[in-house]
Amino acid sequence: MMELCAFVSNYLSGEGMPVVLVGGACVSIYSDNEYQTRDLDFIQKYSVKRKGLAKSLSKIGFTERNRYFEHPDTDYFIEFPTGPIAIGDEPVHHFVELDTPLGPLVLLSATDCCKDRLSAFYHWRDEQSLQQAINIAKDNDVDLKEIKRWSEQEGMQEKFARFIAELK
Amino acid sequence: MFEALFGNESAERVLVYINAREGGYGREIAAFFDASLTSIQKQLDKLEIANILYSEQQGRTRIYKLNPRYALYKELKQLLDKVVEFYPPDIKKVLISNRRRPRRKGKPL
Repeated sequence: MMELCAFVSNYLSGEGMPVVLVGGACVSIYSDNEYQTRDLDFIQKYSVKRKGLAKSLSKIGFTERNRYFEHPDTDYFIEFPTGPIAIGDEPVHHFVELDTPLGPLVLLSATDCCKDRLSAFYHWRDEQSLQQAINIAKDNDVDLKEIKRWSEQEGMQEKFARFIAELK
Repeated sequence: MFEALFGNESAERVLVYINAREGGYGREIAAFFDASLTSIQKQLDKLEIANILYSEQQGRTRIYKLNPRYALYKELKQLLDKVVEFYPPDIKKVLISNRRRPRRKGKPL
């Protein structure tokens, strides 16, 4: 999955459409595939017309169906959620670059990925997202001080306390 | 009223209604404004794709709400609170006085 993400990411970057991997695929990478997804979410760094994106992706065999892009050679499908890249109301400007055999892959940091999952738990009451955030925090060197600061800003001290309690 | 700002009248109606009532579904929004369900549903879909709204299935109805995870959520809420101030007093009153609150089943009015 990571190689496919890197391939698509590098291809689009070469086409002048740089993207950042977000969502469940990041969770999968940071939790050592404990969480599986077939949905690869990329957010465009700069807004590009959908038509241009579809045209570029069609050159490498992807076709658009119901806002998803599919390829006959893979079960994964690609989605481009609307930007901006943000966690809660804070824009994200710093990303992580992972080296893969198919080139670098730009994605959310483990800390931001953890915050993103907590955001779903905080605002949508999504318990699965809490578990994913815990898995990320267990397997990676996340900045708990920063997550605490952000959680307080979101007004979610109590839910943050539950995250910490379950993390231990 | 502010359709130039929101792109079109249906988008404004959807956002104002959902903000005032803390949620809403296509048929009730269309009925409230005496608008076409198709145009309202189209905006609901568009705003959900843009992550400005999210939806939850409640029974057989899909309820749409402002997405608290949207980057400009707080600012959008403030804007919509201000927009409704400019609505005719009777419409504003009906919109605001019927917020979606928890209500015990069978509770008398």
